[in-house]
Amino acid sequence: MPVPHQHPTPLTEEYRNLRAQLGFKRVGIVGCGGLGSNAAWMLVRSGIGTLVLADHDLVEESNLHRQFFFRDQVGMPKTEALSINLTRIDPAVNLELFHEHVDEQNFATIFSEIDLFIEAVDTARDKAMLVAVCSEQLPGVPIISASGLAGYGSANDIITRHLMGDLWMIGDLVSEVSEEHPLFASRVCVAAGHEAHMAIRILLGYPEA
Amino acid sequence: MRIQLALFASLSQYLPEADNGNRLSAHAQLIDLPDGSTVGQVIAALGLPDEPRIVFVNNRHAPESHVLQEGERLAVFPPVAGG
Repeated sequence: MPVPHQHPTPLTEEYRNLRAQLGFKRVGIVGCGGLGSNAAWMLVRSGIGTLVLADHDLVEESNLHRQFFFRDQVGMPKTEALSINLTRIDPAVNLELFHEHVDEQNFATIFSEIDLFIEAVDTARDKAMLVAVCSEQLPGVPIISASGLAGYGSANDIITRHLMGDLWMIGDLVSEVSEEHPLFASRVCVAAGHEAHMAIRILLGYPEA
Repeated sequence: MRIQLALFASLSQYLPEADNGNRLSAHAQLIDLPDGSTVGQVIAALGLPDEPRIVFVNNRHAPESHVLQEGERLAVFPPVAGG
């Protein structure tokens, strides 16, 4: 006779309370690629109530080796494909999607009322721009950024630092993507995990890296 | 005028020579500047490479036109591509 499924460790009241707190939080992410798509599913599984997702790209076949998309989603806007995948994990999650490029002109409109911002874009120029714009336009909102996650160097070199003020930085700080240092899903997901976990810690009131 | 200067990651090699009393950490030290110096003038004087950078003064983003004041903390971080 089949045994009814039971969670191996029963959900404690404390854990339910923590998830309830996270259920009221809004997290903004720019970039739904290797960092953003993977950080997003971790945040949904952790119980974040609302994600505001922005990306102007379409899913490409070359994304599938490290991003949270599937072959039949090639050609779809990344925001739309990610919405489908995240809703399969938790149909109750609130998703606000912006299939557009984000800059200083539209940042505050898209990300008003967020509790925390995650920078998850590709280029150094866009990373610098987004950190500056968020710091200027949404003062006091914690910013989690990533720099240095390419190649096959040790995963243990990727750490979280409270760099300054409202800025936390994830990565080894130096491993730039290049032909010699391509992106591996394993190392990218380590960085995405750091971003998601630091977000959870900050939102629960534990800002120490 | 004296400020705190922090240069992170690959930029730490651009910290000027300092006696031990001015060095605050591996990437930060006290520096003396002429009154009225801007962030952009400090970056140019240090010879920082013309690459994307995150510039904070007193823990918030500041433009390169920002005129530094006694005791402020200027921090520069060079993000690298990948995501």
